Amino acid sequence: MQQGGNVERRTILKAAGASLAVAGLGATATACGGGSGSGDGTVTIRYSWWGADDRAERINKTIALFEKKYPKIKVKTDFQPYLDFWKKFNTQASGGNPPDVFQNAIGFLRKYDAKNVLLDLSEQVKAGHLSMDGFRAGLDKFGEIDGKLLGVPVGSNSMALVIDKPVYTRAGVTAEQGWTWDDFHAAMARIRDRTGRAGDSGMYGVMYLYDLYLRQNGKAFFTETGLGFTEADLTEWWTRAEKGVKSGVYADPRKVAQIKPKSALSAELAGSEFTWDNFTVRYTSEGKSEYGLAPIPTTDGKKTGQYLGSLMLSASKRTRHPEEVAQFIHFMVHDPEVAKIMGYDRGVPATQAQYDAYQPTDPVNKAIAAYEESLVKAGVLEPITPHPGGADICESAFLRIAEEMAMGKRSVDEAVKQFFTESKTALAG
Amino acid sequence: MSSPGLPTPAGQGAPPPATGGPARSARSSALRRTLPGSLAWHLGSLAILAVILYPVVWVIGGSFKRSEDIVGSLDLLPSDPITSNYTRLTEGIADVPISTFFTNSLLLAVGSVAGILLSCSLTAYAFAKIRFAGRNLLFTLMIGTLLLPYHVLLIPQYVLFRNMGMINTYTPLLLGKYLATEAFFVFLMVQFMRNLPKELDEAARLDGCGHFRIYWSIVLPLSRPALITSAIFTFINSWNDFMGPLIYLNEPEKYTVSLGLKMFVDQEAVADYGGMIAMSLVALLPVLAFFLAFQRYLIDGMATSGLKG
Repeated sequence: MQQGGNVERRTILKAAGASLAVAGLGATATACGGGSGSGDGTVTIRYSWWGADDRAERINKTIALFEKKYPKIKVKTDFQPYLDFWKKFNTQASGGNPPDVFQNAIGFLRKYDAKNVLLDLSEQVKAGHLSMDGFRAGLDKFGEIDGKLLGVPVGSNSMALVIDKPVYTRAGVTAEQGWTWDDFHAAMARIRDRTGRAGDSGMYGVMYLYDLYLRQNGKAFFTETGLGFTEADLTEWWTRAEKGVKSGVYADPRKVAQIKPKSALSAELAGSEFTWDNFTVRYTSEGKSEYGLAPIPTTDGKKTGQYLGSLMLSASKRTRHPEEVAQFIHFMVHDPEVAKIMGYDRGVPATQAQYDAYQPTDPVNKAIAAYEESLVKAGVLEPITPHPGGADICESAFLRIAEEMAMGKRSVDEAVKQFFTESKTALAG
Repeated sequence: MSSPGLPTPAGQGAPPPATGGPARSARSSALRRTLPGSLAWHLGSLAILAVILYPVVWVIGGSFKRSEDIVGSLDLLPSDPITSNYTRLTEGIADVPISTFFTNSLLLAVGSVAGILLSCSLTAYAFAKIRFAGRNLLFTLMIGTLLLPYHVLLIPQYVLFRNMGMINTYTPLLLGKYLATEAFFVFLMVQFMRNLPKELDEAARLDGCGHFRIYWSIVLPLSRPALITSAIFTFINSWNDFMGPLIYLNEPEKYTVSLGLKMFVDQEAVADYGGMIAMSLVALLPVLAFFLAFQRYLIDGMATSGLKG
């Protein structure tokens, strides 16, 4: 029996050794295959983005087009919802294995540039693999930071006041380009009195709206390195907000929190909400009413402080195929067929060629196009506010602390102090 | 995420033996005393049961509602039931059929269970039954790994597996399970094996058994309750694991169910809550089936453990 035991041990050890060897072989095999060059000159690039099912199907179609035109380049995609995307991206970037090309937003450019993650695409522009001509409304300059081209815009969006049209009609309120904050507040009170619904869903927590307000007054939310406003400025903004919540001009923040992830607007808690204009698509599918876009209120009757925000494509510095990545980005932003497939999914197309190629047929997307055109016509668009590293953390802190303040968990003074403490830490990092 | 709470309703709903109590007093007085008591007890338990089951019923009801009627609505049952959420699943997500996610998850879960059972029980045997130099130190170190937060290991492990060229394979998700790195299960089995009577393996040794024979023929069969507990936990953990597959898998074709569930919703896009709820219910079935199949052995094992074997 003792003998038997030993034999068994030996066989098991042998088996273990064999399986380790197999695992090792497998590892080397994948190491070769996972790399992206192979004998016949075909390269594989990895492309990651955030979004859901619907965007995935569109993107897969555009990639099929791309691979047909560039048979030597294979594209592998990978996607997650927004928050999970950044979790994964951070891990991969720290691990030295970020995707070759990925969807990015303006708020992250400085952050990842400081971490040395982003490729300067201007070399590729010089080499002729990527063209920065033909962009609308100065969008070609959006991804440039300190002379480096870190992202190429794929579409643009702007802040808007999304309104519940029937509610506005019932209250007899019209919003016109150039209306002032006083007009706006009078309108909100009127909606509350005539329709029994709060006028606005809680604009005090929207960082991008406060940025516009500051810009109307010659300031901005961020400077290149930090915050562009004082504690006194924010105290004034939030004191007004607190009054608005108490008087019912803004929706009850408790109810707004309860119905998440549905928006207060589509849940019929409020008559309007400040957000990016492309969110109307989501609200229309969520809510039962008809939604429209209204201009941002002004301080002096003219200046709205608006700018275009945008999703971009960025390349990672570690990519072994910068040329192919540049060709991929070029195709995605210039090809008219791509625009027909993507529609306004990632914003109104950034290049004139793509903008002309896709004519929306449904009322919601038509309204978005009309809104963007009205901004260009009104001449209110200005250069974008800089986004220092940590801007994304400031944005979510701003929203969270404003909500706590509105619910009465913090006084205005405490909330302001808390925000300044948190944002200082975020911006220092 | 989706699976806990399975045992709870049964535990809460079990009525105590209140009815069989005081039989000695007169019948009328017994009725007077026990009827209101037991009635209150039953009503109370039913109320608690209703509270516990409410979310479950809501989810089941939600899977038959339209997406726009799901969020923000407290209605339990759909006013106008539809089945398109389920039929929609057959179309797949993002050009990947749903069955792919289930196959992947099942592969990972079964692979993990096999790994944990083999490696952890072997390690536990060494700690519980063999005296060797440094045993206590090693045991302490192993328990110490329980205190390491997952996030501390995340990036070093990622770098390690990347350098070995194992990203976008299932190896990073399985390898550790075959090397007894799950200290909790080792600990669980060690505690169990320590309670097995020493006389059994002494007798086996006198009959000429070596360690592997004792492990395989004596200790392992007797440790069945601990093994089954570990198997159930491992299966559920692996099925629900999100972070691991998220960072190691780079192609939707290799995604697991937990990643697939997240593909329905993004804040920027039109969210398909109906599809997500329908799929999460379907995703619950394998875990439920696994639990139901093995909990029988769990109770059975508890009752018969001891010297019988």
